[in-house]
Amino acid sequence: MTPNYSTISPFLNSTKSKWSRTLGYIGLCLGVVLLLCSVQMYMNVQQFISGKEIKKSGYDFVSVSKLITDQNMGKDNRFNAAEIQEIQSQPFITDAAPLISNEFRAQISAGNIIPFSTDLFLEAIQDDFIDSVTPSFQWRPGELHVPVILSADYLEMYNIFAPSQDLPQLSESSIGKVQLQLDCSGMYGSGRYSAGIVGLSSRISTILVPKSFLEWANQTYGGKKTEHAARVYIKTENISNPELVQFLQTKGYFVNKERTRSARIKVILQSFVSGLGIFSVIVILLSMMLFAFYLQLMIARSKDNLKLLQTLGYSPTWLSHMMSKRWIPVYAIIIVVACMITIALQYAFSLAFSYKESLSPFIAWPVVGVAAFLLIICIWFNSRLISRELNRL
Amino acid sequence: MQASSIQLELLVPEYLEKDKLVHSQVWNTRLHFRIGERIQIVAPSGSGKTSLVHMIYGLRKDFSGAVLCDGKPLKSFNPQELASWRKNRISVVFQDLRLFPDQTAERNIEVKRLLQPYHNVSKVTEMAKRLGVYEKLRQTAQTCSYGEQQRIAIIRALQQPFDFLLLDEPFSHLDDRNAERALSLIEEECTARGAAILMIDLQEVPLFKAERTLHL
Repeated sequence: MTPNYSTISPFLNSTKSKWSRTLGYIGLCLGVVLLLCSVQMYMNVQQFISGKEIKKSGYDFVSVSKLITDQNMGKDNRFNAAEIQEIQSQPFITDAAPLISNEFRAQISAGNIIPFSTDLFLEAIQDDFIDSVTPSFQWRPGELHVPVILSADYLEMYNIFAPSQDLPQLSESSIGKVQLQLDCSGMYGSGRYSAGIVGLSSRISTILVPKSFLEWANQTYGGKKTEHAARVYIKTENISNPELVQFLQTKGYFVNKERTRSARIKVILQSFVSGLGIFSVIVILLSMMLFAFYLQLMIARSKDNLKLLQTLGYSPTWLSHMMSKRWIPVYAIIIVVACMITIALQYAFSLAFSYKESLSPFIAWPVVGVAAFLLIICIWFNSRLISRELNRL
Repeated sequence: MQASSIQLELLVPEYLEKDKLVHSQVWNTRLHFRIGERIQIVAPSGSGKTSLVHMIYGLRKDFSGAVLCDGKPLKSFNPQELASWRKNRISVVFQDLRLFPDQTAERNIEVKRLLQPYHNVSKVTEMAKRLGVYEKLRQTAQTCSYGEQQRIAIIRALQQPFDFLLLDEPFSHLDDRNAERALSLIEEECTARGAAILMIDLQEVPLFKAERTLHL
């Protein structure tokens, strides 16, 4: 039989400080729950916002147009090349691209399957601003087929009015199979093209054709070189940047408020969750301090016994190891309990928001990672503290 | 590794008056204690008997000179080496006994036995019966008389392997009969281990057959 913790436990005086130990347990558990919940909430917020937000490679994309007022009504309120360059040169704007539109008449029809025909506007932008570019979204002069990217909102609108017009409703996957006919006409001629929807964009609310086609068609049918744009898309790291907001206001440019609002909500929510995270770290630190006091008190009260054990031949390292090991299950239980509480809260949260978002009822892996990291930190802290106190005897 | 010796190299406690060094056969001399030896060191009160025990056991470092264990200075031992030294090579009966007062006599013995078991529990019982403290094993140390505590401390010291046994006035509170029993047990245990005994007392212990007697 070799000595273990039970051999030395009768020599450790811990009976009179149970209250601080219990308080430490509760405090630590509470702190860990708060921290894990704040990490989980941070991830929930990310999921909520990124589900709606059109964020590609960590950037915000937003459409900017000039505000139409009574004073400038009737004037040409499009962006010219100098204005576009000015927007591009701002330090808080990563990139900006004009959304050019057709300078000729465009009509689209769907043949016999979906009997409708309508005038429409076409727009084009450089490909890296589009969220759903496919390899087939290309056009070269001479080709008779024009690929189209349609706004996802337009499909939704179509499906709303289609039944009342005796038109079939279309799914996202089936819309690509619909063969369309595009008729372009202007002062300098006309042309007929076949068209097909190759993608749906959640970011840009328009009908997009390849930029090469629109520039060619404007020149060919409208007789004009494309120089002006009614809308400019900007790419920025933070849509809520006060400098950006200030710049747009000064210039009288109009931005989709919903986009900036959701970005602001996201910032506020993330700040709140971060604040909660900081608070929970403070709670954890305070709890660990309480543990530290408890351990110091226990070691101080058992000082004579611990010294005598060392005199008898027990090494300080062995004593420290035994006393530290004793706490591993305690910390493990506290953190497992905190994880279970977080799982329960996340499950309840996912149920509460199930009508709005498909939120995972399980906690995220980073939360488990944080819990494991906390467990390691607690064990390390405890071991260091005991070792230091024993060496001080 | 078998301990072969303890050497005292010009050992002088920092606090000791110089006139006490002149006639000492221990302080400021070179001494060599080997396993199996029976050595008696006698001195009146206040001449540093307990200090000497503490120096050899590694509890005090306030001295000049050196205590060498197998040629290595005890002062240079790290806590781990010191623990190993006390666990395997040297045992002691302190003058002040150093029992855990609020623990039972049995637990006082067991905490030492479990550290490096040399005997089983039945041997403890046998020793306690032999020294007349069997009935006291379940009592806390503080409720035992000093003589009983002394015998418990002796039994505790015999629960581990050792090459040297330090005895600091081990029979000071024992009557002759109990002292004789205790000494007989100690002799048996040390002979079985081939260990040396360093008996340190106020005067020569009559029944102890010392090979060397030194005056401190």
